[in-house]
Amino acid sequence: MGISEDESTNDGDDRGRDPAGESEVFVLGVRHHGPGSARSVVRALEAIEPDSVLIEGPPDADSLIPLAADPAMKPPVALLVYRVDRPRSAAFYPFAEFSPEWRAIVFALERGVPVRFMDSPLSARGFDDDDSDEKPNVSAPDNESENPDVQESQEHENKESIKIRRVARIDPLQELALAAGYDDGEAWWEDVVEHRRDGFDRFESIVEAMAEIRSAFADRSDDPDERIREASMRKIIRSEQSEGRRRIAVVCGAWHAPALVPSAWPGAKDDAAALKRLRKIKTAATWIPWTHGRLTRASGYGAGIASPGWYEHLWTAPDRVVDRWMAKTARLLRTEGLEAPTASVIDAVRLADAVAALRGKSPPGLDELVEATRAVFCFNNDIPLRLIHKKLIVGETIGGVPGTTPRAPLREDFERLRKKLRLVASPDLTVRTLDLRDANDLERSRFLHRLALMGIDWGSLTYANTKGTFKEAWELAWRPEFEIDLIEAGAWGSTIVDAATAKACDLAERASDLPKLAELVDRAIVADLAAAVEPIMKRFEDKAAVVGDVDQLMNALPPLANLARYGDVRGSDFRLIAHATDAMIARIGVNLPPACLALDDDAATATVEAIVKADAAIRLIDKPEHVHIWTDALLKIVDAERTHRKVSGRCCRILFDARSIEALDLERRMSLDVSTTVEPDRAAAWIEGFFKGNGDLLYYDDSLFAIVDDWLGSISEESFINLAPILRRTFADLDAPLRRNLGEKARELSDSRRDDGSKRTASRRTGEATSGRAEDDRDRNAFDASRAALVAPLVARLLGLEYIGNEESIENKKVKE
Amino acid sequence: MSVKSDSKDSRGKNAGGRGAADSAANGGDKASEGGDDGAGLKSESNTVAAAIDRRRRRAEEEFAHELAELERRDDRKRPPRWRLSPRAVASYLMGEKLENGFIVTPKYIGNRRLIEIAIATLATDRALLLLGVPGTAKSRVSEHLAAAISGDSTLLVQGTAGTSEESIRYGWNYALLLAEGPSPRAIVSSPILRAMTEGKITRVEELTRIPADVQDSLITILSENTLPVPELGIEIPAAKGFNVIATANNKDKGVNELSSALKRRFNTVVLPTPATEEEEVEIVRSRVESLGRALELPAEPAGIDEIRRVVAVFRELREGVTSDGKTKLKQPTGTMSTAEAISVLNHGLSLAGHFGDGVLRAGDVAAGLVGAIVKDPVQDRVVWLEYLETVVKERDGWKDMYRACRNVTS
Repeated sequence: MGISEDESTNDGDDRGRDPAGESEVFVLGVRHHGPGSARSVVRALEAIEPDSVLIEGPPDADSLIPLAADPAMKPPVALLVYRVDRPRSAAFYPFAEFSPEWRAIVFALERGVPVRFMDSPLSARGFDDDDSDEKPNVSAPDNESENPDVQESQEHENKESIKIRRVARIDPLQELALAAGYDDGEAWWEDVVEHRRDGFDRFESIVEAMAEIRSAFADRSDDPDERIREASMRKIIRSEQSEGRRRIAVVCGAWHAPALVPSAWPGAKDDAAALKRLRKIKTAATWIPWTHGRLTRASGYGAGIASPGWYEHLWTAPDRVVDRWMAKTARLLRTEGLEAPTASVIDAVRLADAVAALRGKSPPGLDELVEATRAVFCFNNDIPLRLIHKKLIVGETIGGVPGTTPRAPLREDFERLRKKLRLVASPDLTVRTLDLRDANDLERSRFLHRLALMGIDWGSLTYANTKGTFKEAWELAWRPEFEIDLIEAGAWGSTIVDAATAKACDLAERASDLPKLAELVDRAIVADLAAAVEPIMKRFEDKAAVVGDVDQLMNALPPLANLARYGDVRGSDFRLIAHATDAMIARIGVNLPPACLALDDDAATATVEAIVKADAAIRLIDKPEHVHIWTDALLKIVDAERTHRKVSGRCCRILFDARSIEALDLERRMSLDVSTTVEPDRAAAWIEGFFKGNGDLLYYDDSLFAIVDDWLGSISEESFINLAPILRRTFADLDAPLRRNLGEKARELSDSRRDDGSKRTASRRTGEATSGRAEDDRDRNAFDASRAALVAPLVARLLGLEYIGNEESIENKKVKE
Repeated sequence: MSVKSDSKDSRGKNAGGRGAADSAANGGDKASEGGDDGAGLKSESNTVAAAIDRRRRRAEEEFAHELAELERRDDRKRPPRWRLSPRAVASYLMGEKLENGFIVTPKYIGNRRLIEIAIATLATDRALLLLGVPGTAKSRVSEHLAAAISGDSTLLVQGTAGTSEESIRYGWNYALLLAEGPSPRAIVSSPILRAMTEGKITRVEELTRIPADVQDSLITILSENTLPVPELGIEIPAAKGFNVIATANNKDKGVNELSSALKRRFNTVVLPTPATEEEEVEIVRSRVESLGRALELPAEPAGIDEIRRVVAVFRELREGVTSDGKTKLKQPTGTMSTAEAISVLNHGLSLAGHFGDGVLRAGDVAAGLVGAIVKDPVQDRVVWLEYLETVVKERDGWKDMYRACRNVTS
């Protein structure tokens, strides 16, 4: 039975009495999260003065209702109901400051009126995802305001397949809106209900309208789930009646309203029959903080609303809603450095009013305000609108729950640590740089690493802009679904350390290859999970012993090398690592040379990469015995005729860089491997391996430069021409500035060796090869000195130089150009 | 923009005249494109227009019956000096079936909300700036708005690099000036000044092509709603009902960016390219039909299939992806606007009518199509050939189109 304000102010109203004539039931059909509904609900409740308030929601969570009155409870919050044995099966019931249900709870608690939830318990109804998938389900009290039965399972950050259950049903509000000449159900409800500030009750007409709609869409009201839910609701109302409550206020989604009006009730027996044979699952419930972003439909919340921020504004603004909204908009734009003068605010308000009048609405709705904002402030630029949408229309508010909320032990432990470490769970992305030499920061780092191991990516590592291994930069952004992750992780242990350790060991059991395991070791160590490191290392060594692929071994080396070298920054024990690396390097030493024979090009490229990484790792650990093994292995590789040339070239280079082979030796090998008798392909591969991606050293290492220079000088004109394309191809990969530097270096060398004819040619060739401007060089060499001498005095004057008049200076000038 | 570019393209193809029925009531001519018009031009164009058969009628003439009907039915409140209420203006632009069964044809096919914002802007004291790439019906919308609100779409300043301050404010009749000295009689009003005194809507086309210092003379008019005449020590106030609709092209916006002071006097409405293929086909169909009638093309109206194909080609090249979203395409340098699609079809219709069998076929469209797409002989040609070989050739039922296009693209 609906009620309107004037009817309810005294006791003369006898409608809504149950057949026994003992108590009245006032059904307040609302739209979830509608501020207009919230306002009218509060007014209605004040008028009704109920002695019992029933709210559509899971009875499983009845015991949690009193917490809503806690001063620390700050909407948006959500009730989370989950299966005790499988926390992934969970349902959320979000409440915002402006949700009618929330207002009703607050109203009841403030006045000491008993309040409870009314629906079929989730323990009986089960969860939508039972038996199917394992993802949390943002289910909600189904929403009549839009597609009521689209429940989308939460898109989870691990990007597992997203299951969406869509029931093709017609939106009842859409139908009402069409009847009223609107295109969109949401917009219609906005205008008819949400924007009414006079608060005149229209619950009775909502019941009537919904009754019409329900008869038109019999499918849905006949749905077994719906029948069970409504039977449960009635059962609870009946039990309230039998407890002697005389004025019962029922706050429910508008859709259910007609079914809850006592005059429309079926017999108690029918309801009891419908409720038979319901399952019993053990559930637990808790309050969790929610965000405005998560209230939107875009977040996958079925009963979501498009504009929580706007609704909040409607709820909180005492008067002059439009003016205040525009002023807010302008302030936001100004803080972002965009132009938003007050004169424009006035214009925008007037435009919004004018458009609303044109459309026959008053006052303007969000659409009009956004369109006016676009026309007045945005010129031809949508960025301000996006900003407004994110910060104002949706909003970034995050709720809070009191510390006394019952929580799973792991969640409790998390909260304790979080507080101790002074980390704030905020949805905004913040960057935090930790100095690992500081005890507190070190703890924070471990905490975040542990969470990450458990799959809770609250923080993600980014690059700290300082060099050194004692700094870590984290990007922190809290997402409400971490709450479920935490509850789920409860299965692994009841403290963060235990759970992370167990999870890490489990991951190790499943890891398929060595690099993954090595990474896991790294993660376990940075998370300071001593108990996990040992089993993971054991597994690692077992795997390493049987693995046939030497590339895998080499790729697994760098993470371990990092630990072996820097592990002590964190005060971790890394003897285990040292042991493992010893064994690995020994294995690499044995396996690498044969593995480099008979490779195809792709495999060779992969091997070269692995070798480079392994080399860096070994230099990092810097143990003489490792280096010895490594050098031996590399020498074997370069000596073997059938080694892929690219690998051979790279190994030569590594050996020379470490001065494990002499300059003379290098030169000999170079001529041997890149001589004219060698097929051009093979020569090219060798050169590529030797130089590729590593030109800096060539520039800075004078002796290497000299060797290359000499080698180039020593080959015959003909083979140089043959090699030139290969050389140019290789050097083309270097940065342009580096190429230029190399060219200049060659030229300087050429100048300084002017007297020595052969050397000069060599340097010039190096210059040609590196600068990639062989033609220019050749032209320069071919210039006619006598003709150049004619212009030289003029050039000298132009440059402000004194003209000496010999050929040498002309050439110098030309070169300098 | 649409209006202009089609008439440009079909210029010379239709010299034939229709009965003088439409030349009954004539004000100024839209063809005062030079922007250097003063008061004198109006009377002159009156006589000119009366003498010849107009190639295109002004909006308020062409749709006079619709405007009259709307005015008769309109019982809502009208802003001062508006012929219609804002709601009726919206109905005029978007088309509507009135209660008595009278059908108002749509003038703008697209988002109604944009048009509502535009109309609401004109009812406040901010001016309206219509932005959009060429061919998004900016000029057409502004013409119809002026016609519906003031019943007069002729108060037009065509923005060019040579637009002078006189065409925004006022000039002098030098003969009078020399004879009598400065006096109100010697002032030659600009269209804007006339709109101010008469309380009408004035239109400024291509605002961003006007030099910045000339643009600035609009600021006083828009913010103070008066035009000072320092020579006479007077100021001419704007009557209620005066407002400005400016259009600007946001593709080559760099010409003369608006100063932020001027920007602030305008509410901006960006007219988008048609959102869906259906919408675009409908726009092209209705415009081709009405233009074909106006130009008295002898061919039958274009078949919807041919329109669909041309629109598909334009849309795909504009968006750089095929309509099924599977193949990426290079984009030509032109804007590939809807207006150009219309003129391609009109061109085709005229070919079919005068040289073919009166039915529009692929061969008739091909030449116009290639001309519209290949604006740059090197770059665009590559784009077009690629499109032809990879998309047109493969598509079912497009064989004739492919062959025809191949023939004209040597």
